[in-house]
Amino acid sequence: MNEILVLAEHRDGELRDITFEMLGKAASLAETGGTTVTALLLGAGVGEMADGLACYADEVLTVDHGNLANFNSAVYQPVVAEAVKSRGPAAVLVGSTAFGVDLAPSLAVELSAPLASDVIDIAVDGDAFSVTRQIYEGKIDAKVSFRDAPTVLITVRASAFPVELGTKGGSVSEFAATVPDEPAMRRFVEYVEAAVGDVDIAASEVIVAVGRGIKEEENMALVQELAELLGGVVGCSRPIVDAGWLPKDRQVGSSGKTVKPKLYVAVGISGQFQHISGMKAADTIVAINKDPKAPIFSAADYGIVGDLFKVVPALKEKIAEVRG
Amino acid sequence: MNIVVCVKQVPETAEAELKIASGGKGIVEEGLPLQINEPDNYALEEALLITEEHDGDVTVVTLGHDSSEEVLRMSMAKGAAEAVRVADPAFDGGDGLATAGALAAAVKDLDYDLVLTGCMASDDGNTQVGVALAELLGIPHATYVTQVDVGDGKVTVGRELEGGLIEKLEIGLPCVLGIQTGINEPRYASIMGIAKASKREIELKAAGDLGLDAGSVGEAGSGTVLDGLEFPPAGEGAEILDGTPPEASGKLADILKEKGFV
Amino acid sequence: MRVSMAEKYELMGCIQCGRCTAGCPVSLRTHLNVRRVVYDGMRGVGPKDAKALPSAWNCTTCSNCTERCPKGVKPMELVIGLRSAAIEKGRIEPTIRDALESTLKHGNPWGRGREKRTEWAEELGVPVAAEGEAIPLLFYVGCTPAYDPEAQSVATALVALFKAAGVEYSTLGTSESCCGNDIRRMGEEGLFEMLVDGNKEEFGGHEIGTIVTGSPHCMNTFKNEYGEMPSEVLHYSQLLASLIEEGKLTFKGKVEKKVTFHDACFLGKHNGIYDEPRTVLEAIPGVEFEEMDRSRERALCCEGGGGRMWVEAVEERGERLAETRVKDAVALGADYLVTACPFCLLTLQDAVKTSGNEGKIEIIDLAALAAMAL
Repeated sequence: MNEILVLAEHRDGELRDITFEMLGKAASLAETGGTTVTALLLGAGVGEMADGLACYADEVLTVDHGNLANFNSAVYQPVVAEAVKSRGPAAVLVGSTAFGVDLAPSLAVELSAPLASDVIDIAVDGDAFSVTRQIYEGKIDAKVSFRDAPTVLITVRASAFPVELGTKGGSVSEFAATVPDEPAMRRFVEYVEAAVGDVDIAASEVIVAVGRGIKEEENMALVQELAELLGGVVGCSRPIVDAGWLPKDRQVGSSGKTVKPKLYVAVGISGQFQHISGMKAADTIVAINKDPKAPIFSAADYGIVGDLFKVVPALKEKIAEVRG
Repeated sequence: MNIVVCVKQVPETAEAELKIASGGKGIVEEGLPLQINEPDNYALEEALLITEEHDGDVTVVTLGHDSSEEVLRMSMAKGAAEAVRVADPAFDGGDGLATAGALAAAVKDLDYDLVLTGCMASDDGNTQVGVALAELLGIPHATYVTQVDVGDGKVTVGRELEGGLIEKLEIGLPCVLGIQTGINEPRYASIMGIAKASKREIELKAAGDLGLDAGSVGEAGSGTVLDGLEFPPAGEGAEILDGTPPEASGKLADILKEKGFV
Repeated sequence: MRVSMAEKYELMGCIQCGRCTAGCPVSLRTHLNVRRVVYDGMRGVGPKDAKALPSAWNCTTCSNCTERCPKGVKPMELVIGLRSAAIEKGRIEPTIRDALESTLKHGNPWGRGREKRTEWAEELGVPVAAEGEAIPLLFYVGCTPAYDPEAQSVATALVALFKAAGVEYSTLGTSESCCGNDIRRMGEEGLFEMLVDGNKEEFGGHEIGTIVTGSPHCMNTFKNEYGEMPSEVLHYSQLLASLIEEGKLTFKGKVEKKVTFHDACFLGKHNGIYDEPRTVLEAIPGVEFEEMDRSRERALCCEGGGGRMWVEAVEERGERLAETRVKDAVALGADYLVTACPFCLLTLQDAVKTSGNEGKIEIIDLAALAAMAL
């Protein structure tokens, strides 16, 4: 089987975790498939990052060019396509991230390659890849394979695979590609930081997070009080921000903040993966939800299945009692 | 400023306990309410807001079975001027790229300056159709869009990256934007409004009308194959503290005290 | 031919006497001026001009204005009409939108799945009618007693009371759908019509003798707005009162508390049901009952009706009416403030907290109180 090609993802001069997660999985797939792992790194001034990849891949290919300084799928796509056409990998792995989703589907069309998105597992049997992905908002797993194709394209969910220590000794070399100028029809303008509010939830040791289960803005006080009692701050899942009840900087999850507090209490949060990915590294995770099948319970250490409007007041009382 | 919005009808699954259908390749849809895919609803609203400000028409396009006409009627009740349904048994079982192919064949002949669609579908979780559609139409794209500002022959968009960072881009028209939830507050479509819209025509396009042959669309035209569905493994999961709310909370309070949080 | 607001709502009889606004409970604390709304309607100021529009959402549809009008004008209907105009444009508060969409999808405005409608009844052995089965007495639970954890006390209490009185009844289980009373009051006429048609079809599939409701809102719309109904429609207080008078419902226990009673608008003002709840209260052993000053026809609306459960008041000021009500009850020295409407129950419970009276008074539903004495 031909090599497995992994597209490295970076921001602000640093490689993002997804890159190592994909390379780690690619290494184990390559071992089973009797092939090698190649990392493809596009950017401007990528020397240091390329060296950082060397222990994770058998080969590191770089395209170092000023036009690649900021991610613009219109510039990246032709370069990646050229690399794929030239190398003919059996599989191309791209992160299922804001970067990856803006690139993978159009790249797949350009290459006429099949595409499986946001996978949580990959297997290889002989020459054939198969993946597992989630549907119906995480309630069901789908097993997917590919029709005969020389190259398959797979986007990988962040944190689906672990980051492990790399033990390879890959060579780093430049891949000679034609790098187009940024087209007038798609220009990068700038990055804008999320507005910083008064509270940085990532700095707090205790976070009490609230989700759709709270039902109304009026009920948020309940969670605020619990947070105060525990000496923490209030965070939330996306729907609370969409509704305008809390500012964006309180959102925990893949499009919000990743937090690693000592204690994370999820109140009325179902636990869709976008949220879980932002908090699963917390030391102790407690979940309170009415639905016993809510995915949050598989991420939590302790859970109470019940109505939060009964549990949270009771919990406040019990904490006060236990405090003495 | 004419806008095409690609919408999808999906089952409402957030409240439901799902069952896998016999054969293991689908879920039991009976009893599940149907609704517009949430991100598509935001895309539709964005299109309506833009055409209200900049004059123009919104055309909604869907690939679906008969029941998906409900979503088209709801869109027209909200203000969409035209509706197209791409309908043909040949399209069944198509994966993301195959669906994009069918939609591209329908959209390419429409008069549009901008194409909007939800960045993701809540049923299959794919984040493919909008971006693939752009490539097939030969126009630029951006997805995970949370801000759109229409200028002269171009749009300035904000894409939401991890950590809340916004990537600002300037994209020439026409282009395809994949819209993220939360970008606006969708309006309501009244029952009477939807009833009025049921008198309006929905254009139907079969594979033949679009010059597509059956082998290149639907399941036959898909590069990925669905082998089966399963429930995710229960896994270790949480230690569930049971009892009445006071009992369970009491146990939790003790654990929190033990761990030094109280 | 376009019908003017004046014609549609028969406004021309209005003499601008102002009795409507004088009796409007929310006029004290919001910008809703119902006399002005009628005036604009008479002058042909249409919905898109009517500055009344945002504050039209403050109306609780208590019907004081309509009761008090000496000329038979129905200002409340005009206010609902203004809401309808907003609904048709789709420009409504997201919470109202969500409640309406939920009712269409799930058959209830609370965003909960239909299969969860009977979760309150698990392990209580509540009978559910089979398809086509005749139902001499239908217990129509209602969306709020079915789904809201606090209001479920109404449903579970009634089940216990029916059992104690040996009353045979049945329910529609998960086939029960929203009655539409508050949907109509939010102005969604089309959705209301759809609910009426659906419910009449569901009822028609069972020969139903009497419908007894857990909420006065449901009773109100079935009785007054569903047109020809083959069945008698009662609120539970009426059924309990007859069971007590017939000696079928007796109380072995006591509730030794001082209580007062809040007359719900949809039970009292809209339907004249004042005596039956008092019959029930006075039959409960141990209860010391004292009336509040503003009772019966003069009862102070709690601001839970008219869709207010799903939308914040627009530009409100001062003390909420429910807080005033709670304070009145506390001043009376009552342990319990009793009500027979699930919206009043929830709204008054919130007011106990926001007025700082937690621990001083409890809000209890009439059926729950009676069940305590079984």
